Amino acid sequence: MLPLLPGIVPFGLIAGFTPVSFGYTWIDSIMGSLLMFAGASQLAAYQLMDEGASLWIILMTVAAINLRYVLYSASIAPYLANANRASRLLAGYGLTDQIFAICQRDYPTHDWDLNERMAYYGGGTLVLWLLWQLCTLAGALVGQVIPVFWSLEFMIPLTFLALALNTLKTNAHRVTALTGAGVSFLGLELPYNLGLIFGGTLGMLAGVLFKRFCG
Amino acid sequence: MTNAFLIVVTLASLVTLALKCAFIEGQQYFKLPQWFTDSLEFVPPAVLCALVIPGIFQGNIGLVNAFGPVVIDPKPIAACVAAITFFTTKKTIPTLIAGMASLYVVYWLQI
Repeated sequence: MLPLLPGIVPFGLIAGFTPVSFGYTWIDSIMGSLLMFAGASQLAAYQLMDEGASLWIILMTVAAINLRYVLYSASIAPYLANANRASRLLAGYGLTDQIFAICQRDYPTHDWDLNERMAYYGGGTLVLWLLWQLCTLAGALVGQVIPVFWSLEFMIPLTFLALALNTLKTNAHRVTALTGAGVSFLGLELPYNLGLIFGGTLGMLAGVLFKRFCG
Repeated sequence: MTNAFLIVVTLASLVTLALKCAFIEGQQYFKLPQWFTDSLEFVPPAVLCALVIPGIFQGNIGLVNAFGPVVIDPKPIAACVAAITFFTTKKTIPTLIAGMASLYVVYWLQI
């Protein structure tokens, strides 16, 4: 788990700083991180709020970015099947890319009972959650004193760019990315941020079709 | 606290929790079709790339708001530099530093 932690520090700082740079309070920023606990979709929601997007566009975008959690959830669910409901809900709230990565790696290779699996999941999640909230708080407090001309809000698209490029593992993923970006660019002038929705949808469709017929 | 912000964030958190719990909590009740789970791997690149575009091609950065507009928008150039840096280093922090540095340089060269 420890090697995965440094990577979330700058992301947490940006997630904390961003709402403040858009004129919200540091308490808003903390609440955003406490409630959502999902970095990329937090940033997307903040950016879209700043652009004046409608509520359903924001929620659809958050859902689209977080759809990968359905996959993670499906993968981890069998190992937590006999936990009680409160534990399962807490595990759901704490599900992250990092926790998925270590559980996916270690659950199949260890003969742990449910308590040990829950302890492993809970311990990793708690460390990650605490670090994320501390980084968010630091970002929100620092964000109040950073001058506007530093243009740190531009770190959001740069962060998304790095996250996006990190997903390009096969040609199908590259076709997906190019289609998503291209359609989004062509749809920049569309109302209600529809370019984003069309880009995401058609990009995904292009990836599926490419994999089926060319992959 | 800002009420509108909290309402949006609360609803977004419910959507997020529902997706995170989709199988952990709901595995006893339903099963998603295979074609749907197969297509989920393409969601992150599609949505993240679509999301990057407005941030690069729309809106003004703080530099422009503080010191005035310039002829060539520095954002797309900075994004290209950031992308090249990512392909070279495969690391997020150097990507952010290169992107921000080139944003400042391209703006500064035009004033």
